[in-house]
Amino acid sequence: MSPAGPLAEPTTKAAAPARKRRVWVWYNDERVLGWGSVALVIAIWEAAARLSGVSPLYLPQPSQIVVALFKMFATGGLAIDLGWTLWRIFAGFALAVVIGAALGVWIATSFRVRAIADMFIAMLYPLPKVTLIPLLIIWLGTGGPFMLTISFLGAIFPIVINTVLGVRQCDPGLVLAARDLGATPQQIVRKVLVPSAIPSIFAGIRLGLGVSIILVVAAEMVVGKYGLGARLYLSGQILETEQVFAVLIVLAALGIIVTKVQDYIDIKLGRWRLA
Amino acid sequence: MKSPNVAIELEGIGLTFAPESETPTIALNDVHCRIEPGKVTALIGPSGCGKSTLLQIARGFLNPSRGQLRFVEVASGKVTGRPAMATVWQAFNLFPWLTVIENVAFGLEVAGVSKQEREARARKAIGAVDLAGFERHFPRQLSGGMRQRVGIARALVMEPEVLLLDEPFGALDAQTRLVLQEQLSSLVETSGTTAILVTHSIEEAILLADKIVVMSARPGRIVSEIAVGLPRPRTFATTQDPEYAQLFDRIYGLLRDEVMRAMIIESEKADT
Repeated sequence: MSPAGPLAEPTTKAAAPARKRRVWVWYNDERVLGWGSVALVIAIWEAAARLSGVSPLYLPQPSQIVVALFKMFATGGLAIDLGWTLWRIFAGFALAVVIGAALGVWIATSFRVRAIADMFIAMLYPLPKVTLIPLLIIWLGTGGPFMLTISFLGAIFPIVINTVLGVRQCDPGLVLAARDLGATPQQIVRKVLVPSAIPSIFAGIRLGLGVSIILVVAAEMVVGKYGLGARLYLSGQILETEQVFAVLIVLAALGIIVTKVQDYIDIKLGRWRLA
Repeated sequence: MKSPNVAIELEGIGLTFAPESETPTIALNDVHCRIEPGKVTALIGPSGCGKSTLLQIARGFLNPSRGQLRFVEVASGKVTGRPAMATVWQAFNLFPWLTVIENVAFGLEVAGVSKQEREARARKAIGAVDLAGFERHFPRQLSGGMRQRVGIARALVMEPEVLLLDEPFGALDAQTRLVLQEQLSSLVETSGTTAILVTHSIEEAILLADKIVVMSARPGRIVSEIAVGLPRPRTFATTQDPEYAQLFDRIYGLLRDEVMRAMIIESEKADT
C-alpha cells in the first residue's frame, strides 16, 4: 500500500465558494420580470381593446378570449381537438426518436452508411417539409397514416443530424481508453459513443419535436376535421376571433409545457455535465 | 496475480506516417529495445520523438511499418501472445458521465464480471489510490490529481501484466506530481507489474524506473539505455542522493542535444 502521509492533496470540491447574496429587489428577480412583463402586455391590450372601440372581430379583449377558451373546453370539444393533435404529434415523433437515434448512430459509425445517407440528408433536410403535404395526401390520404408520416418527417432530420454530430464529436481519447480496457466495438458504441452523444441527441429531439408540432398543426389546417389546427382554421373562416386566440393560447401553453419538460429531462440526464 | 514473465522485444521498429505522400513523416526509426518483465522501463525524449507512438505500438493500437514486436516468455524463451495490458493516459480519459466507481469498474463490466464482484474490486482499487469516499463523485467534481488517481485505479483493477503509463502526470502541477509519483512508485512496486513509462521528466524517470531509455529527436531512435540502481522505495528524499544527481546530469546531457535538435526540426517545419 501507499504511504498515507503525503497524500493530503487539496480537493477542489471541499469548499464551494459561497454564492454572493444580494438584497432582493423586484426588478432583479427573473420571475417577476418574466411574468410581470407578460401581465403588463395583457393589461395594456385589455385597456386598448376596451377604450379604442376596435371591433372584437379584429382585436378581442383578453378577458373575452379567456371566456371563449373556457367555453370551448367545457362545451365546444376543444379537449378532444387537443387530444387528437397531441396523439398525431407524439405518435410520429416517438417513432422518429427511436428510428432517428438508431439511424444516427449507424450513420456516424459506418463510413459506407454515412456516404449513402449524406446525399439523402443533403437533399431532404433543407426541403421545407410542408411542401410534402400535397404529395403525402395523394399517397396516403388525409387520415392517420398521413399525420403520422408528417410528424415523423418533421422530427427525424434534426434527430438524425444531431445524433451523428454528437457521436462523431466524441473525444477519441475515450474510445481509446475503452478499447484499452477491453471493450468490443459494439460495447464502445453502446457504452461510450451513445452516452457521450446524449446531450446532442437531446438537442436534436428538442428541435425535432418543435418541427413536428408545426407540421401537424399546419397539416390539420389544410386537411383536418379535428385537431387544434383544424379548429384554428375553421374559427378563422367564420370570424370567431376570440376562438382563434383561444386556440393560439392552447398552442402556446403546449409549447411552454413541452419546453419545460425537456429542460427537466435534460438536467436529469446531464447530471455529470452540471456537477 | 501471477508475476509477469513475458518480456517485450522491439526489434528494428520503424514507423512512417503517410509513406505515400510527398512529405512522409518518419516517426520512429530502427528502435531496438527489450522491456524486462516486472521492471519499470522509462522512455524519455524530446517532444515529438515518438515515445508515445512506441507505446501505442506496444499496446497494439498502431502497427509498425518496419521491424518486429515480440512477446517472449522469459523462462522458456518461447514467443507468446500479447500479455494483458492497461494504460494510464496523460489526458486521464475518464468517462465524464460515469461516477468514480463506474469508471474504475468499466473494464470489468465489459469483461462480463458480475456487478457484485466488480464493485468490490473497484472499491479496493479506489481505496488503494486513497480515494475511498469519492466513489459516487463524477470526474468533474475532482481535482486533476484525484482524476488521475481514478485513472490509475481503473488500470490497476484490471490486474494487467503490463502497465502502460503515457505521461501520466503531464497535465498536473508540480506539487501534485511529486505526491503522485511517490504513490505510483509504491503501487507499481507492490503490484509487481511490468511497466512502461513515457515521460518528459528526468526526475520522474529516475524515481520510477529500473531502466531509462533515452530517445533521440525525430525520427526517434534509442540513444542510450541507463540502468537505475537507486534503492527502493524511492521518495522525494532520493533526489538528495549523489547517485541521483549523477544520473540526472548524465540523462540531461544526452537529452539536451536532442531537445535542441527537436527544436530546430520544429522551427524548420514551421517555416515550410
